[in-house]
Amino acid sequence: MSGEYVRVDPTALSMSSADYARLMAATLEKGAHFRFTAPGFSMSPFIRDGAVLTIAPAPVRIRLGEVVAFVRPQCSKLVVHRVVGISRAGYLIKGDNAPEPDACVIRASIIGRVVKVEHSGKRMHLGLGMERTVIAFLSRRGWLAPVVWAGWRVLRPLVKGWRA
Amino acid sequence: MVFSPSEDVVAREIEGEIIIVPLVAGIGDMDDELFTLNETGREVWQLLDGTRTLAQVAEELTGSFQAPEGKIEVDVLGLVTELARRKMVVAR
Repeated sequence: MSGEYVRVDPTALSMSSADYARLMAATLEKGAHFRFTAPGFSMSPFIRDGAVLTIAPAPVRIRLGEVVAFVRPQCSKLVVHRVVGISRAGYLIKGDNAPEPDACVIRASIIGRVVKVEHSGKRMHLGLGMERTVIAFLSRRGWLAPVVWAGWRVLRPLVKGWRA
Repeated sequence: MVFSPSEDVVAREIEGEIIIVPLVAGIGDMDDELFTLNETGREVWQLLDGTRTLAQVAEELTGSFQAPEGKIEVDVLGLVTELARRKMVVAR
């Protein structure tokens, strides 16, 4: 017999979404943060494909607009989306770029909340501050994409001007 | 001497393997280095509960592995020394 530990490349591990959720939950239970690369476009434009997210333990009371990690009840899949509604039934959660909400989940289904977003090594602030409430409001009504697009059309010439 | 997993790691069995995530500055970083234990390492890890001495760990493993007890003790000591060096386990 020979006991060995092996350093592994995380990308080489074939871990399922549920495995990630278990490791995340175990890490947050210790009061630590959990950092990982999130694939997908469902939170675009505030969280882009390949962004590195830092998840912290969620407080007892989660606020409107916070971006949370939870396990989707129907398929046990780990999802990181925004709270767009709070009711007695639970938390209504939806991806910023998704057409429909995921589900209304109870507090126990929420593992943690996003406290930091990094993309290409830069910290992204937009979407996690006070503006999150407005984003949640617009997202729930399906107005987020048109508003962001209109805003981008206005801002794009200015951004180009600054860069020039 | 008895050993148990450090407070500075998170370990979970996933698909038959123990995955160990070191907590560095309070962050478990999945994009940084992770560790796995092979089957034998997993057996050792599960017995490092802060109550068994390394001799007791080796003795328990004798029933599971076809190897002389002396060899098992040496292997257990070697693995635990490495894990302790990496601060994945701590002496109690």
